[in-house]
Amino acid sequence: MHKIKSTNFTRLLFFIVLGVGLFLLGNRVDELRVYQGATLAMYVIAISSIILLTGYSGQVSLGHGAMLAIGGYAAALAHEHLGLPIWICFSIAVLAAAAAGAVLGTAAARLSGPYLAGTTLALAVGLPSIANQFPILGGEQGLLFDVGAPPARLGADFTQYKWYFWIAALAALIAIWWLQNILRSRYGRMWRAVRGNEVAAELAGIHIGKSKTLAFTVSSGLAGLAGGVLAMTISTVSPSAFPLSLSFSLLTGAVLAGVSTLSGVIIGALTLVATPEIADAISRRLGNSENVTTNLPGLLVSALLILVVLLVPNGPVEQWRKFRARSLHEVTHR
Amino acid sequence: MYQFINTVLIGITSGAIYSLMAIALVLVWRSTRVVNFAQAGMALLSTYIGYECIQRFHSFWLALFIAMIAGAGIAAAVDSVFMRTLFRRVSHGPIAGVAPIIATLGLLGLIRAGLGLFVGNADVSIRPPVSNIGYTISGHTLAFSPLKLVIVSSAMTLMLALSLLFSKTNIGLSLRASAFSPEIARLAGVKVDRVRTLGWAIAGAAGAAAGILQTPNGTGALSPDSLDFSLLLVFGFIAAVIGGLDSLLGAVLGGLLLGLVLAFVLTYISGSLVFITAFVLLIIVLLVRPQGIIGMNRGRRA
Repeated sequence: MHKIKSTNFTRLLFFIVLGVGLFLLGNRVDELRVYQGATLAMYVIAISSIILLTGYSGQVSLGHGAMLAIGGYAAALAHEHLGLPIWICFSIAVLAAAAAGAVLGTAAARLSGPYLAGTTLALAVGLPSIANQFPILGGEQGLLFDVGAPPARLGADFTQYKWYFWIAALAALIAIWWLQNILRSRYGRMWRAVRGNEVAAELAGIHIGKSKTLAFTVSSGLAGLAGGVLAMTISTVSPSAFPLSLSFSLLTGAVLAGVSTLSGVIIGALTLVATPEIADAISRRLGNSENVTTNLPGLLVSALLILVVLLVPNGPVEQWRKFRARSLHEVTHR
Repeated sequence: MYQFINTVLIGITSGAIYSLMAIALVLVWRSTRVVNFAQAGMALLSTYIGYECIQRFHSFWLALFIAMIAGAGIAAAVDSVFMRTLFRRVSHGPIAGVAPIIATLGLLGLIRAGLGLFVGNADVSIRPPVSNIGYTISGHTLAFSPLKLVIVSSAMTLMLALSLLFSKTNIGLSLRASAFSPEIARLAGVKVDRVRTLGWAIAGAAGAAAGILQTPNGTGALSPDSLDFSLLLVFGFIAAVIGGLDSLLGAVLGGLLLGLVLAFVLTYISGSLVFITAFVLLIIVLLVRPQGIIGMNRGRRA
């Protein structure tokens, strides 16, 4: 089979085609699906930020929900107090989360595995309570984040959620395209080298600490963008929008995507979007008791996380590749 | 002056609870090289079992005892069934280094959601065994009550028992040997796998005790998604890191130090800074003295 050589141009073209496809799709489905599409785009950005961190630089963050929260609050603050246009708000979300990530990453670069995990977990546990204590962050109610109605020239039947979906999908496409490029650049090679063997990478002239800090910073920036998108789709930021279970879900999505394969990110995102619906269907069948409806989504996500780590630790995409490689091998050597 | 004494006493009480949690984390870390984030879930489960006992038998002490036994059982089961499978299946690939962390976190979520499924998310309350009204000394009412005395003395007794176990018994010797070098311990005839499970069991009991003592020390309310247990885990982790993550004495000192610092911040500055202080303390320790306050100068290794 002839393999198309992947160049910058073909990849850009691919993303443009994907974007047009999404645009056409967005016009054909109902409101709920459009809303889910926006959520899906948010998950794609957030999960890819974890994949970058865990799969490409070998660090693990249990509290990426905190980075989303920083991004969301930054966007909402910029919008409410400075009245900036929405795109600048998103850029501010990215920058704010990246700055926080740089600070944490400097500490994190010196920490390995469990220390970083514990530190990020602490941040995710504590951040909501911090947000409660500063009046500028709006306390328990949080802040409104209203990106405004869609432009009038898009027509009268262009709904609010469709507008959210457009913005979210565009943000996700740009983020993934950019991330793919950076993973193919010398930075991507640097991160993979450090993950593979720290000593060998250091001998090859890579500064381990700087490399890890950079990975953490970029990953946090992406998470901040996801936070901005999340805040937009629910049009508010509050401590309860970024619970600890959000961090758990994102990690589950990343593991499902296969932490080292960016192409699996859509599997993780789809699963996260589908889980509440599946949980809903099951709890309806079980008679809608309150215990079931509140806890079933969390139960499913955690169970999925454990099962994937135990059964297909490198993710279904990687597993499928391995399986195909093995069967090809058998065919050719028969 | 009274305020100062009050603050010290409150700090020691909550510090002792953090110490117990830190001990649980350190024990697992020493034997398995995993920070057991599921510890909060196991403690939560044991505390619920303890709560059921209080409802049935109306005895706090019996409940504490049963909860600790249950905690030990849960932890031993988690190690021998779950962790062992994990280590056997996930030994290479980019995820191998982080799989245990992710798996314990998944277990934490599973226990919390599963518990919520069965008992519901409404608060239940653990009635304190003794009065929580402060002692009065020459007209001043202290914040230190009989309840706090009970909490701090039970925690201290448990820690004392643990230190005796580790320093004076053969079991303690094999626990230390397996943690120090599993290979050599195995050659010397220690059944390392079994000892490891025992280490988890002791950790589970310590965590259960922390959970049962912590609940009446705080608001007395207990629910599967209570923030208290997440905070207990985080503060236990911070205490363990302050102590170097490898040392039981360090865990105890780290817990007391953290408890005192937080109590002083709470009394003299502001309640809203408690968590930020703990977090900053963690970052400072990690940056300045990553081997912990009493750790040897070895640097960090995962």
